[in-house]
Parts: sequence; C-alpha cells; structure tokens
Amino acid sequence: MNGIVFLKAAYAVSWIIYLGYLGRILLRMKKVAAEREELDRTIPRNAAPATLKRSAV
Amino acid sequence: MKKLATISVVLVAALLGITSYLGLAVAPTEQTMGDVQRIFYYHVPSGWVAFLCFFINFVASAVYLWKRSAGSDALAAASAEVGVVFCTVLLITGPLWARPVWGIWWTWDARLTTTLVLWLIYVSYLVLRRFAAGGQTQVLAAAFAIFGFADVPIVYMSIRWFRTQHPSPVMGGGQNSGLDPAMAHVFLTNLAAFTLMGIVFLVLRYKLQMQEHALESAHAQAALKGVA
Repeated sequence: MNGIVFLKAAYAVSWIIYLGYLGRILLRMKKVAAEREELDRTIPRNAAPATLKRSAV
Repeated sequence: MKKLATISVVLVAALLGITSYLGLAVAPTEQTMGDVQRIFYYHVPSGWVAFLCFFINFVASAVYLWKRSAGSDALAAASAEVGVVFCTVLLITGPLWARPVWGIWWTWDARLTTTLVLWLIYVSYLVLRRFAAGGQTQVLAAAFAIFGFADVPIVYMSIRWFRTQHPSPVMGGGQNSGLDPAMAHVFLTNLAAFTLMGIVFLVLRYKLQMQEHALESAHAQAALKGVA
C-alpha cells in the first residue's frame, strides 16, 4: 500500500490526540470553575462551622 | 479562563501546524523509505516529551515523599498524564511507520516491548491515583512512580544493548549514525516545538490538578460546616 496513506494517518491521529487532550483539559477546568462558583454561592467562605461550635457552658 | 483557553488552543494549533509543515513540506525525502520516513518528525519528538514528562514525574514523586507538598503531588499527577498522551502518540505512529517499511504492524523486539511496558506502567499509575481508596493514595502513587521510572533508561538503551528490528539510534548512535543537515534542522525544530507543546499541556494540567485539589478542600470544609 502507498506509504502516503500511513503518513497522513500518523499526522492526523497525532493532531486529533493532542487537540482532543487540550480540549479535555479546558473542559475540565471550566467544569471545576463552575462547581467552585456554585459551592461559593451555597456557602459563604467565612461561615462558621455549624457542627463544631463550642457550647456556651 | 476564556483568554487562557483561546491562547492555549491557538498556540497548540500553531505548533502542530508549523511542525506538520516542516515535516511534510520542508524536510527532504529520505532515499530508502521515501515519504513515510516523515513520520519520524512526529514519532521521535513525541517520545522525547514522554520521557521528559516521566522524568518530571519521577522527581516530583521523590519531592512529594520528602516534603508531602500538594504542589509536588499535583505536578507528579499532571506530568504522568501528559507523558501518557505523548507515549500514546509514540505507540500509534510507530506501527503506522512499521507497516509500509517492515511489512508488519508490530514485533516483540526490545524497544517496542519496553515502550509498551512503559505506557502500561504509567496508565497503571493513573488508574491507581483515580481508584485507590484511603488517605495513602498519593504516597503509594509516588512510590510506584519512582520504581516505574526504572523502565525509562531501559527503553532508551534497548536499541544500544540489544540487536533489535527497531532502527539504530539516529542521533548519538556512534560513527554510522547521523542526519542530513536539512533533516536535522527540521528534526531539532520539531523537537523544540513539541517540548513547548508539552510544557503548555503540563502547565494547564497542573493548574487543573491544583483547582481540583482546592475544590475538594472546599467541599470538605463545607461538609464540616454542615452546609453542603
């Protein structure tokens, strides 16, 4: 078979893997940032821990 | 975040474009193998970056065992994953070159086998990090990484120690090795471009790992406060 087919396949697969991996990292970063934003909305960062409050005695 | 994403996508696409142009259009055609030899300009730099990442993983793992810092653990995790990606490209482009040149996709010679074992070691490392339960996962992973790195010099030396079907080293392989200057120019440029691409992936992946770590801590704090 013509070597050109294998050459094109090697370059194409490399492009797909590298760009796909970059896309995956960026999507995960976006997801983590959104989750962090959601958590910060749910609980203010300086809220006191409810379960660890010392009794008044 | 949007700016970082745009810059990294443009940079990686530009690096891939430049390396493809150099490998496919600028490098001269090799006399014996013809155009299929151009796979070399992606195959070898991918292997180099994989080795570099596994070395970073080794150092970061040793530092983690010594200092127990979240940063070194994040760097170890990031470098192992990026290394596996580059090693995957190495293992795919190799057989795509071998089929037209050797007439076979794969043979169990020393270089190919040790490289496959290397890939399996670091995939196992990532699986260990992902699925191990308990508080000692990072310590186990770091110890695993230090022993796993032992395969890297074996892969590198395999074509020097053993008579293999894999070609002899082109660079630094003795008197009969070497590259035509026009080929060497393309090869070294691609090597630098792939290294830069590896650094981009590593920085982003490290940042992600630290963000995930911070999110886990925030979730733990929220649970402690009895809110989330």
